[in-house]
Amino acid sequence: MTFAPALHAEWIKIRTLRSLCGALLAVFVATTAFSALAGASDTSDPGLDPLFTALSGVIPGQIAAISFGAMAVASEFHGGALRVTLAATPRRGRWFAAKATAIAVPSLVVGLATALAALLAARAGLGGAADGLTADEQTRAVVGCGVYLMLMSLFAAGLAALLRSGVGTLSLLIPFILVVSFVIGDKTGTAADFLPDKAGQVVLYETHDGPLGPWTGLAVTALWSALALLAGGWSVRRRDA
Amino acid sequence: MTSIDVRNLTKEYGTRRAVDDLTFRVLPGRVTGFLGPNGAGKSTTMRLLLGLDRPTSGTATIGGRPYPTLDEPLRHVGALLDAQAAHGSRTGRDHLRALAASNRLPARRVEEVLEETGLASVARRRVKTYSLGMRQRLGIAAALLGDPEVVLLDEPSNGLDPEGIVWVRELVRRLAGEGRTVLVSSHLMNETASFADHLVVLGRGRLLTDMPMRDFIDARVQPRVRVRTTDDPALETLLAQRGLDAERHQDGHWTVHHARVDDIGRLASGAGLPLLELASEEGTLEQAYFDLTATETEFTARPQEARR
Repeated sequence: MTFAPALHAEWIKIRTLRSLCGALLAVFVATTAFSALAGASDTSDPGLDPLFTALSGVIPGQIAAISFGAMAVASEFHGGALRVTLAATPRRGRWFAAKATAIAVPSLVVGLATALAALLAARAGLGGAADGLTADEQTRAVVGCGVYLMLMSLFAAGLAALLRSGVGTLSLLIPFILVVSFVIGDKTGTAADFLPDKAGQVVLYETHDGPLGPWTGLAVTALWSALALLAGGWSVRRRDA
Repeated sequence: MTSIDVRNLTKEYGTRRAVDDLTFRVLPGRVTGFLGPNGAGKSTTMRLLLGLDRPTSGTATIGGRPYPTLDEPLRHVGALLDAQAAHGSRTGRDHLRALAASNRLPARRVEEVLEETGLASVARRRVKTYSLGMRQRLGIAAALLGDPEVVLLDEPSNGLDPEGIVWVRELVRRLAGEGRTVLVSSHLMNETASFADHLVVLGRGRLLTDMPMRDFIDARVQPRVRVRTTDDPALETLLAQRGLDAERHQDGHWTVHHARVDDIGRLASGAGLPLLELASEEGTLEQAYFDLTATETEFTARPQEARR
């Protein structure tokens, strides 16, 4: 059995659940709305990073991306759904790879569209404050933002497979993102720079002064996501369904 | 020929043995009833067969191969394990479409099994609006999707209405008639008696019986005769003279144990006893099952646990 049929099945399962389509829509709406708001209100601060301001909606928006990844996996852990899935696709590693791909592709596509819309919406409010941004910087941030949203949903997907619970995953990740990163705040040069969300967000800034650059930061987040997926995949392979 | 082979299968959860050194075969062309009280290990055995749980030791193969090594397994084996498995927010049709896609089954099979299981009219409704019986039918539809040679159904009649129960009975008979291998678990005796040719009985994870249903009943239930007469005292005397064990029931008929109608008929006629009724009482699966369980330490030694 090859990979394509498993991927096809997982793609059908994702697009036929309204809650998952709703989560992707929420990524777009929340990120764009909060970015537009930030662009319209925040222009007086001289230390402002106009690029991050334009994409700051991704901070609340990523919660929807995390929910998408967590729920897409957690739907398999309800009432024996995983048994039906694994009876149809008994090669578990292949199945989990298909699941992760079916989560990654729509979150990347929605993430890229979201980042572009957020940038445009915020620039409408920022006006002259954003004039210094180069095309390269903006392209890098939009692509990076899309990849970041994808990586965060994959991180959540891996954790959900490990914990076998969407609620468990969200109650771990959402406080982590809202509280821990917020408390540590803008201080750089600490281990916090290497947290999955902080590291990946470097790509959203026009200037950065931490140990990580835009792409190395994303690579660190990718490493976190890969670790979570490996742990989740290991759990799926090893445990009784 | 596609048979199910279970050999020395053992599964431990912590210190509890859910399945204990189980060995049996399920052959094609007949319905094998898989019996035992709740917790006897029937569902665990089915999960082990499908490679969903890993055995502690022993093997379970289908057509000589472990299930996880089958390519596009739904084309070979169809299983109903749990009626709650379909996601409530998905439609029944989408649930089946995803399964069909995973094994490259043609989309028309989805429509065919929906038709066959009587779900065509609700196929576009979300599963959470389904009754338990409809979910059960959806699970059976999923099992039939790949037109498999081997069908495993775990408690298929759960939640079905009387019409649905008859439908399941006819379905499993038809599947076996087509030469497929059919294993149907149940804890309901009368239901199993209505469709099974062969029985595999478990108690606390161990194999208690593996034999044709008719032989099982005949070996376990002694023949009895039901008789009614106008002259009870004469009948009682007559039976006592022959050393036959008999009891009189409230409504006036007698049950003669370990006897056949031919003998009792001749006896009564020889004595000039007027008979109003004379019939042999067929042993039921239920009687045979309880006779078995009464003698098995699995059930009697630790009644507390067996009841759990």
